[in-house]
Amino acid sequence: MRELLGPLTSDGCVPPQQQTRVAAFLISAHGALARQYALALPIRLEAAWQTELNAQLYREAEFVSLLQRATSWVPDAGLGYLTALWEMAWLPAAVDGITDRSMALAADLTTLAHAVHAGVRPAALLPLEANAHDAFVAALRRIEFESGRLLQAQIVFLKGPQLAPFRPAISPALERRHADVRRLWDETLEGIGIASPRAG
Amino acid sequence: MPFLNHGSYRIRYELDGPADAPAYVLVNGLTQYAELWSAYRDTLTARHFRVATFDLLGQGASDKPALFISQEDQIAALGLLIDKLGGGPIFLSGISFGGLIALRYAIAHDGRLAGLVPMSCFAELSPQLLLLGNAMRTGLILGGTSYLQDLLLPMNLSDAWLEPLLDKLDSVKRQGWLVNDVYALQNLMESFLDFRPLTPLLRAIKAPTMILNGEFDFLTPRALHETLRVQIPNSSLVIIPRGYHAFTLEKSALTADLLARFAEDVLAGRWHGNQSVWIAPEEPGGALAAFPPGYDHLRAIPTPRVAP
Repeated sequence: MRELLGPLTSDGCVPPQQQTRVAAFLISAHGALARQYALALPIRLEAAWQTELNAQLYREAEFVSLLQRATSWVPDAGLGYLTALWEMAWLPAAVDGITDRSMALAADLTTLAHAVHAGVRPAALLPLEANAHDAFVAALRRIEFESGRLLQAQIVFLKGPQLAPFRPAISPALERRHADVRRLWDETLEGIGIASPRAG
Repeated sequence: MPFLNHGSYRIRYELDGPADAPAYVLVNGLTQYAELWSAYRDTLTARHFRVATFDLLGQGASDKPALFISQEDQIAALGLLIDKLGGGPIFLSGISFGGLIALRYAIAHDGRLAGLVPMSCFAELSPQLLLLGNAMRTGLILGGTSYLQDLLLPMNLSDAWLEPLLDKLDSVKRQGWLVNDVYALQNLMESFLDFRPLTPLLRAIKAPTMILNGEFDFLTPRALHETLRVQIPNSSLVIIPRGYHAFTLEKSALTADLLARFAEDVLAGRWHGNQSVWIAPEEPGGALAAFPPGYDHLRAIPTPRVAP
């Protein structure tokens, strides 16, 4: 098992098999977030906080578009099964203990987004010598950097006054989402010969 | 890699040196991880100390709570580690954020400590420190861990340390960038949101206390260490020449030597705090010099001390 993506090709690129598996996972996760944000976004924005929903939707869509175009795709027989597994994990599951169903679903979407944005760090897998001019390398760096910014909306909402009364329900739901996302990401990496940074 | 269990969280720790020796427990700063104490482990174990290091909650290989990290949990984790060391003498030292955790442990469990060494530390959020902390948090939010490192490196380390590394700063920053997660760092910073000054509680610390402060520490300047010196009865303040906030990284051989000498002096009954002020030597093993009498150690220019 390696700790980082590679061995890199002679021009400093990530091998296409690894690109395919990593990009498929990221597209699945960020695509799910984009779909759920699209459903949550009203046609007409009535409140200031909804502008953030709009921003999150288009940033998630950008990640998907970016990976579709920047990845050197190759056939991968395992992707059908894995994609089904991933998509099942992203399904909405209203947070137990919040009686207002729309609030419970919003909290769930936020915990999923927090877990994906905080727990998946694709750029941390790039070796130092990765070609900075390669589109896939740039895409991973951009996704990790922008995820850190997107995360702020989730932190503000989850720590904010609206959910303060539900903190005993929110914290375990968030830790559960983190554990699920972390497990799937670690398994994805192990499938391409990369040991999880948390495995040591 | 051994772990302690605190509730549902796991805390990674490491013990080195003989089990029956006096122990040093070292507490990381905000963006640090236990491996950064390796030079201290080597020096202190060679001088017959046991050394305990660990990653705080939210750091390195310890668990990173997703939403909240309380300083009480950090103190409880530190307590678990100290309990693991048995009944022998314990010396506790921490840098910056870790110094604050060490102070809070000492206030609550003073009788357990043979000695305390807060380094680049504070008991109050002065307006400058509060605003700098807020700016660092904003920097982290907008620019990620890498930008925070870009801010901290020139603020906390000297030109002499930085200059030879200028063309390889990315590799210098890489390990810290890898082990630190944005959300975990932010949770650590936000554990200060309800911070209350420790100053009124410092007198509870009766253990011998050596306060270390870099000469040029910009982040936590002399005045913040002076609060510790004045309030902790059996203390002395030692100024590290040419040291910045992160002198523990830059001057590890000197600092480890000072830690060992302090503990050796305490154990031999030679150490007397007297709330005195000293200047550390430039090199390990050198003599400490008393701050010139009659001059104000809070000023950067030689100014006669005004009686309080």
